[in-house]
Amino acid sequence: MMLIAGTVPDKDMPLTVGEIGFDGDYLAVGGHRFPCMQGTGAMVSAALAVTAYLKLNRPTVVVAGDVGEGKGSRAIYEYIIQNVKSLAPRVLALHYWLPDMALTRRLCEAVEKCDERPIMIADAASMYSAKAAGMAPRFDVFTPDATEMAFLADPAATHPAYIARHLFDTDITKTPQLVDIAYRNKNAPKVLLVKGAIDYIVRDGKILETVSEPNVPALEAIGGTGDTITGLVAALVYAGLELQEAAIVAAKANRMAGKFANPTPATKVVEIIRQFPAVFREYLCEWSEVCRTRGGESE
Amino acid sequence: MAFLRRREKAAFEGDGLVLFADVQAALKAERVLKRAGHAISLVAPPPRLRKGCDLAVAINLVEQPGIERLFEEKDVYYVAIVPLNEECSELLDIVQVTDFGNWVMVKVGNMKLSFDKGSGVIVNTSGGGCPDIPVMHAEMIGKKLDEAPKPKEIGFTLCSLMLHRALEECLRLWQGSERQ
Repeated sequence: MMLIAGTVPDKDMPLTVGEIGFDGDYLAVGGHRFPCMQGTGAMVSAALAVTAYLKLNRPTVVVAGDVGEGKGSRAIYEYIIQNVKSLAPRVLALHYWLPDMALTRRLCEAVEKCDERPIMIADAASMYSAKAAGMAPRFDVFTPDATEMAFLADPAATHPAYIARHLFDTDITKTPQLVDIAYRNKNAPKVLLVKGAIDYIVRDGKILETVSEPNVPALEAIGGTGDTITGLVAALVYAGLELQEAAIVAAKANRMAGKFANPTPATKVVEIIRQFPAVFREYLCEWSEVCRTRGGESE
Repeated sequence: MAFLRRREKAAFEGDGLVLFADVQAALKAERVLKRAGHAISLVAPPPRLRKGCDLAVAINLVEQPGIERLFEEKDVYYVAIVPLNEECSELLDIVQVTDFGNWVMVKVGNMKLSFDKGSGVIVNTSGGGCPDIPVMHAEMIGKKLDEAPKPKEIGFTLCSLMLHRALEECLRLWQGSERQ
């Protein structure tokens, strides 16, 4: 099972757990719907694009409405803490929520009690709380952007709004130094995919590959295009790819979907997501063996 | 023995402190925050952060904007909200502007806001990872910069505060270009 957890921008949506699918332009789970837009919606949609293309089981999600007050977030943390052992996910991808260091620590402790440890992926505020709680090395993949990379490199910061100026005031070419600092401070997971004008794929502190083509600058302005990368990574890992290979293919696929959509800063992320099937048809076999030897588990 | 077993209290790890001038204000803040559902604890501030009384409230720093708004609504007087870690004392205020031809993207901290140069309409927001950010995304896109809801007024987290600063910078740029 691939388990994805995150909040959705609907105050009235209760904690909901189940297999997710599309209902028109919306995502549907347990009788509830939420839009395919920046945040957990974009992330889940990208993961669904992969599972549909490779004919894998759809993701199971743990979602709850939260507009920033934290109640839905805490319900998600508690649900995972109580149930991760019995759910036994192979991939656990954490996304938008209110960062809470104590709950993140408890969640990591609960994961350690699983009979088989899931592959742990974090982005957005779940990555913030993992780093702030000192739990980053327990994760397998983070997908920060350049600013968030500076946050990971700042040993004192608990949120990207409070990082040291000298770390923030850098450009993407300084990413290798920030990566080095983050690993030295034990504030990084096994694999980093640093998103930016150049995407860096790093394993255990060593930069394995950079991806910079096709170059589609407008993607940076479009809310949700970082979330889609995380969804792609999670689903490709679930399909059986090695962590770093999943990160490389995700970076390439996201850029290519951007190119196919020919976006402007006014483009919606759903228009990028709609391009994934065409991108996979044209390039997935070239980039990876996964299209031939489907690595997903049989359930 | 069961009747002696105490329910283990969930630990709270705050990374921010609210400082007060007197103990009464600190106790009132504690009541107000607990009633609103915030995870907090009363603590003694470290000597370097003492600005008034010896009682402070430890908070989850990411909730700073929502807490400030709540204090204003409930007349809670405080001296300052500060990060607990002395090495990160100031919010990031570095602004980066990218010109996309018909559109401009302004980045403050981890948040980005893009608008149409001609109409001043917000076309996208991106970045961040807190739960109020998709709410802002849905509420702000399609509205003019000077008519859009203010993230500081409807958001709860530091991500929304960064987005608010991006909105202010966009407004400054847009209104400046209109005057020219």
